[in-house]
Amino acid sequence: MCTTPRSTVAVVDAVARISELLDSTDTASTGTSMRIPVALHEAASIAVSELGVAPSTTALAVDALRNWLEALVMQAALDAHYERHPQARPTLAELAMAAAEQDGNPLASQPRLIRKAAKAVAARHPDADADAVLLWAEALASTAA
Amino acid sequence: MTHLVILDNEAVGALASADHPKHRRAIAHTQVVATRRRRAATTVLVVPTSVRVEAGLDRTSSSAAFFGSMRIADVPLDTAAANTAAALRHDTGVSVADAHLGAVIATSDADRITVLTSDPADLATVAGAKAITIVRL
Repeated sequence: MCTTPRSTVAVVDAVARISELLDSTDTASTGTSMRIPVALHEAASIAVSELGVAPSTTALAVDALRNWLEALVMQAALDAHYERHPQARPTLAELAMAAAEQDGNPLASQPRLIRKAAKAVAARHPDADADAVLLWAEALASTAA
Repeated sequence: MTHLVILDNEAVGALASADHPKHRRAIAHTQVVATRRRRAATTVLVVPTSVRVEAGLDRTSSSAAFFGSMRIADVPLDTAAANTAAALRHDTGVSVADAHLGAVIATSDADRITVLTSDPADLATVAGAKAITIVRL
């Protein structure tokens, strides 16, 4: 991954342009000179032919690339939003609650347990995400049972 | 596994405006989707266009810039969806937006559907027998 620092304006402009391109309805395609490792290409071919995960290896690659770019745009926009509105940034416990609610996970009805798990996880793993907190909370719940 | 996360009227407003009392909660749900997508999970945020109309959210407006950057897909009210929504509205008396939302639920082939809403009762009505997760925003 490229780690060269970029100016905020350049990043915002790049993300806006990526977003605009992702929204494009232009179906014209282009041949690329991208070099794909042989083993990765073969793995993708097997996933398509034997597992039916996509109509073709090209479709699989395009879907994966689009999904990754959309995730990148979302996170960049969220990060910029947090910079402008620090009070909008959810805590790890709030994120874990949201994840539990979205999944219909019974832990969603135990906010105190989730807060406790978030505190413990954050102390050991500052970069942990909501799903890590839910795993920890499940472990706490099963230990208590 | 595909997971469809649908926004209702208030969820749209809460996400779009930093001044909305539930903004941070809407952001938390959006952040969860973004984080999971970075791990290649197939989770998508969508909004039925009728819901967006009810929420008064014009994507071309400058005030909708943040909402627009969240990669939330519009689900249009096409002919088939309109027929399903019309039947739902006739049978249940829900609003046009909720009927459209019900049509999205009825026709989705996602493995899991979650709706972020301020009105769980109406959502349960339009979801019918389809298993969905309703999150009160």
